[in-house]
Amino acid sequence: MRSITLLGAVLTVAVLAGSCARERSDGITIVFAAGNDPSGATEALIDEYNAAHPGVTVRFQAMPANTDTQHDAYVTYLSAHESNIDLYSLDVIWTAEFARAGWIVALPEGFIDEEEFLEGPLASAKYEGKLYAVPWFTDAGVLYYRRDLLDEAGLAVPETWDDLRAACATVARPRGMDGFVWQGARYEGLVCDFLEFLWGLGGSLSQETLRSNPAEVQADIAAALRLMRSFLEEGITPESVLTYKEEDSRRVFTEGHALFLRNWPYAWSMAEGEESKVAGRVGIAPLPHAPGKVGYSTIGGWNVALSSFSTHPKEALDFLQFITSERALRARAIAGAYLPTRKATYSDPEVLAANPHFADFFQVFRNTRNRPRSPHYPMASDVIQEHVHAALARETDPESAAAAVVRELRTTLLR
Amino acid sequence: MIGRHEAALARWLVAPALVFVVIVGAFPVASQFGLSLTEFNLKFADERSFIGLANFVRLAKDATFWHDLWHTLYFTGVSVSLELTLGLAAALLLHGLVRGRTAVTSSVLMPWVLPTVVAATMWSLILNDRIGLLNSVLTELHIMTEPIVWLGPRFAMSSVILADVWKTTPFVAIILLAGLKSIPRHYYEAAALDGASAWQSFRSITLPLLKPFVAVALLFRAMDAFRIFDLIWVLTGGASKTETLSIYIYKTLFRYADLGYASAMTVALFGIVFILSLGLIRLMRVAVEAR
Repeated sequence: MRSITLLGAVLTVAVLAGSCARERSDGITIVFAAGNDPSGATEALIDEYNAAHPGVTVRFQAMPANTDTQHDAYVTYLSAHESNIDLYSLDVIWTAEFARAGWIVALPEGFIDEEEFLEGPLASAKYEGKLYAVPWFTDAGVLYYRRDLLDEAGLAVPETWDDLRAACATVARPRGMDGFVWQGARYEGLVCDFLEFLWGLGGSLSQETLRSNPAEVQADIAAALRLMRSFLEEGITPESVLTYKEEDSRRVFTEGHALFLRNWPYAWSMAEGEESKVAGRVGIAPLPHAPGKVGYSTIGGWNVALSSFSTHPKEALDFLQFITSERALRARAIAGAYLPTRKATYSDPEVLAANPHFADFFQVFRNTRNRPRSPHYPMASDVIQEHVHAALARETDPESAAAAVVRELRTTLLR
Repeated sequence: MIGRHEAALARWLVAPALVFVVIVGAFPVASQFGLSLTEFNLKFADERSFIGLANFVRLAKDATFWHDLWHTLYFTGVSVSLELTLGLAAALLLHGLVRGRTAVTSSVLMPWVLPTVVAATMWSLILNDRIGLLNSVLTELHIMTEPIVWLGPRFAMSSVILADVWKTTPFVAIILLAGLKSIPRHYYEAAALDGASAWQSFRSITLPLLKPFVAVALLFRAMDAFRIFDLIWVLTGGASKTETLSIYIYKTLFRYADLGYASAMTVALFGIVFILSLGLIRLMRVAVEAR
C-alpha cells in the first residue's frame, strides 16, 4: 500500500515537474540524464545552480539504476539524435563508443585542469587523446574482510590468493561459512571481477597485448580461469556466485555468511549500516594477487559528457563545469558517499569526517586499471562474459574458453 | 458461377484489406530484408555500405547464433509439450467440475494474466538459493539437505521452463476447455450405452474431436515460446545455456546498434518461424479435416 502511495506521489511530482518545465519555456532548459541519486545531493546542487542562474533551468532526468539498461536506453536515444537531453552521465566504459559514434562532443582545450583528477578515471574519459567527458565519481574493486574473524585466528589480511585460500580453509570452512564471494553472474560485473583475477596474476588484456602477443594473453586468461574455478571447486566460493550481482554477494557478506567479499566501495556503508550483522567487524584491503605480482582494481564510476545534439551547448557546458567542480564533488561525497574524482577532495577534512574510510580507499585506488577502451567495448564485454561464465560453469574448459576469448576479441577489438 | 462484374467488385472489396496487409506485413519484412544486405551500424553510421549476403555468411559461421537457435528450439519443444499435457489434464479436471467451475477457472487463469516480467521477478525470488521459497520448502520436507542453485549452471534451463509452464499452462487449459465444451454430450451417452469404458470414450471421442483445439493451442504456444525474451532476460540474462535468439537479436540491435546484422538474424528467424508455422498450419488443417 505504501509503495502505491509512493508511486502516486512520484507520478504527481513527475507531472508537476513536466508542467513547470513547460511554463518556463521563455528561458533555456538543460536536461541532465544520470542514474538516480537517493541521497538527494545532486538535486540540491541543481536547485542551487538554478537559483544562481536566472534564465537557465537545469532539469535532472533519473535513469534506471541498472547500467546495461541505461546503456541500451542511451543508444536508442542517441542513434535517434535525441536533442532533449543535453548532458549524459556515462559509465567509464562507454566514452570510446559514444565518441566514435559522434554522439558526444570533445570538450574545449583547457576545459579542466587535468592535473587535479585521478589518473585512471581521467584516462577513461578520453578517446584518441581527446577529452570527451569529465570524471564525476569513481569506483574500484575492493576486498572486504571480516576483521574480527581474522584477528581471532591470528591471521593477517591476505595479500596473495594463497593467503586468502588458507584463511578460508582455517576460518570459514570450520564455521560452515562461505569463504570468498564475488560477482559471477553473466553481466558486466563479471568482466570487472575476471580482469582483477587476470591482472593480479600479472596478465593483461589490452588491444596492444592482444595484437603483439595473443598466445601469452591466452595463457594468462586460462590461468585466471583456472584460479577462479579452483575457488569454486574447493568450495571456497559457492556455486551460487555464478548467479550473483553486486547486491546478492553483498547480502551474503553483511548477513555474516562469508569471510571475504569483492565489491565496490558502496558496500562499505551497507556493511556498517543498521541492517548489517557485521557492522564494526569489517575491514577493507587491496585485492589479492599472485606472489611477486601486484593486485589491480577495475575502475568503475561515471563521467559527464555533452551530447552532440544539445541545442544549448554553451549553457550545458557551464553546468557541466559546475557539477564536476570541487564544491559539487565535496557535497556529493559528504551526502552520498560518492567517491570523488579530484585528488584534493580526499584530504578535505569535512569529507573525511563524513567518510573516514575514504582515506583507506584512496590507498586502494593507487593500483587501478581501466577495462579495454574501444568503441566496440559492449561486444567485447559480451564475448568475455559468455566464455568466462561458461568456463566457470564447467560448460567448457579454461583452455578452450581462453582461446575463444582471444580469437573473438581480436576480431572485435582489433578491426 | 460468379459473374465478371461480381469478381471485379470482390477485388475492390478485398483491396483495402490487402493494402493494409502490405503496409503492416510485407513492407516491414521487405525493408528488413533490404537492411540485412547492408553493413549498417548506428554507431558507425559513416561506414554504411551494401555488402550483399555477407551478413548471412557471418551468421552461418556464428557459433552463438547456432547455440541460441538450439536453446530456443529446446525451450520451445520441452515447454510446449509440458504445457499441452498439463493443460489437457487441467481442462479435463475443470470440465468435470460440477460446481464452481467459473470461480475455479478464473483463479486458474491467474498466472496467465500476470505480466511476464512480474511473474519472472516473482520466480527469481522463489528460485533464489538462499532466500527462495522452493529451497526452504524442499528442505523442510527433508527432500534435500543442501540448497540447490536453481538458476545456476545445472538447472537454469529447467527452472526457466518450469516458470514458463506455470505461466502459460492456463492458456492451453482454457482453449482445450472450450474444445471440451463443444463436444455434444450425446456422443458420450451413446458410447456409454454401447458399453464403452471411460478410457475408450476418451480415446475415440474426446481426443479426435479435441484435435483442432490442440492444434490452435500448439500453434499459439509454439510461436510464443519461439520468441521468448522477457522471462529469460529477468531470470538468467541468458547465462548457462539459456540465451535465446530473441536475446541475441536484442543485444545486437540495442546494445551493439548493428542494424545490418540484426536484420539478417531477423530474416533468418522469420524464415524459421515461417517454415515452423506452415508445418503447424498443415497439421491443423489435417486435424480439422479429420473432424
